[in-house]
Amino acid sequence: MRIPEDLRYHKEHTWVRVSGKKATIGITDYAQDQLGDIVYIDLPDVDTEIERDEEFTEIESTKATSPVIAPLSGTIIEVNEELDESPEIINEDPYGKGWIVVVEMSDPSELDDLMDASDYERYLEEEAK
Amino acid sequence: MRLGIIGAGPGGYVAAIKAAQLGAEVLIVEDTEVGGTCLNSGCIPTKTLLASTELYSKVKEMDRFGLQLEGSVQPRLDLMMARKRNVVETQVKGIKRLFKSWGIKLIQGKGRLKAPDLIEVSTDEGTEEIKVDSVIVATGSKPAEIPLFPFDGRTILNSTDALELTEIPRSLLIVGAGVIGCEFACIFRELGTEVTLIELLPRAVSTEDEEISDLLEREFKKKKIKLFTGVKAERVELKEDGVHTHLSDGRELVTERVLVSIGRSFNSEGIGLEEVGVAKGERGEIKVNRRMETSVKGVYAVGDVTGGILLAHVASKEGIVAARNIMGEDVEMEYNVVPAAIFTSPEIASVGLREHQAKEMGLSYITGHFPFRALGKAHAMGEISGLVKVIADSRTDRVLGVHIIGPHASDLIHEAALAIRASLKVKDIVETIHAHPTLSEGIMEAAEDVHGSAVHLPRKS
Repeated sequence: MRIPEDLRYHKEHTWVRVSGKKATIGITDYAQDQLGDIVYIDLPDVDTEIERDEEFTEIESTKATSPVIAPLSGTIIEVNEELDESPEIINEDPYGKGWIVVVEMSDPSELDDLMDASDYERYLEEEAK
Repeated sequence: MRLGIIGAGPGGYVAAIKAAQLGAEVLIVEDTEVGGTCLNSGCIPTKTLLASTELYSKVKEMDRFGLQLEGSVQPRLDLMMARKRNVVETQVKGIKRLFKSWGIKLIQGKGRLKAPDLIEVSTDEGTEEIKVDSVIVATGSKPAEIPLFPFDGRTILNSTDALELTEIPRSLLIVGAGVIGCEFACIFRELGTEVTLIELLPRAVSTEDEEISDLLEREFKKKKIKLFTGVKAERVELKEDGVHTHLSDGRELVTERVLVSIGRSFNSEGIGLEEVGVAKGERGEIKVNRRMETSVKGVYAVGDVTGGILLAHVASKEGIVAARNIMGEDVEMEYNVVPAAIFTSPEIASVGLREHQAKEMGLSYITGHFPFRALGKAHAMGEISGLVKVIADSRTDRVLGVHIIGPHASDLIHEAALAIRASLKVKDIVETIHAHPTLSEGIMEAAEDVHGSAVHLPRKS
């Protein structure tokens, strides 16, 4: 299971890559593995406000339809339109081409509540028990 | 008994055959073609087109099924329409053969009541009056039209016109996201048309259970069918670049064509009802009781023209009830268990109570759900979208309603219809062995889920 060092993680298996006030959000390698083949993602619209710990979209896989939980609050400024035609990109490259949205953070201090890679790794080990 | 029937749609023609079977001398008057809306411009033509578009949809993803195509497949609406005509003609002939075999006299012409026991028939050759003992009015309905739209049958269409198109529209606005609108949306979208649906009510197929509407709306998103709910068309302009439709939310849509499917109006004018004194309701529908009798003795009415549930199979059942009563039996229509199917992709089918109805009635109920994607058969078929929802009385365990969206929903619903009609319990469905691998397992598992014990669902936290 890949857990890149430079990202922050939420317990609902989403990741955040920060650049200034902007945060790119996606789901983790563990999440895509659990979901199985992704067939559809209900992409939100730009300008939608998302709130930490709340569902901001849904992913449909061959196994289930699952909510995607926002790791932090903000306003969506960019959406990965490529996922519309090819949602399987999330399976192939969850931390790269499979990013879901970019948000402008409304409260960057929320980042402090997220896990770093080693915390997330321990968290997954706990989950597995 | 000499019975005269006006209208040979699924209400009238079934009544004719049933009455003939029971010994009546039957004549039936039809001014267009036997089979009515259902056969000529409704159920059957749309399902014929759907067979083409579903096949096309499969062909487009044939590589997923391990099939390789050299070259390409092109949809040809003109050829699909030719096939449709052929299918319809075959069915029309079939009904006429049945009439012949049961000794039913078909008169091609326009029927009108002169008296409760007298039908005037106008044909090309002239007018004749026919004396009968009883009458069944089964004149049906037609697409409702509103003055806002300048219908011309080419650019601004009703559902009947849409079944005559021979070229695939580049873009299409469908006004009304009810059953008809949603079915056409799926057909044309599959052919590549850019489809936009608008609906005055807050959701598509608003007569269905809300969860079913939600799921259909998600499937529309996947197909890139645009849906705007809670809006209406306010102004329409025909311009060089297409039809400009101005919506109540300020939006302006430009499409090559517009299909209006906002409901049906009843064919109750000009057939002598007023003269004979047959009572009508506010919408022009003929008032009937559960024996299908109108306010005039000896005059019965069945099907759409009575304004009840506008479904072919309800009309047919009403026709049978009317025929049996005319032939001396005493039977009443029951509307508690009416399965209904919507042929969108995926299909929708329902019977019994919707959850919001159970709530409004103050019933104590529980629900069970099962997604098709948890079934091996659905994966094998490559059709995993959708679910089965069972609503049950939480005190008696009786099945109150079943709602299905997914592959072959329309074929699956009848187990549920029988269960509700026979007052069966959820337990009865659960304890009936369902063959594997089938889509019907979805109904069994959704029933199990009512008590949280579906075998193929993870434990609920």
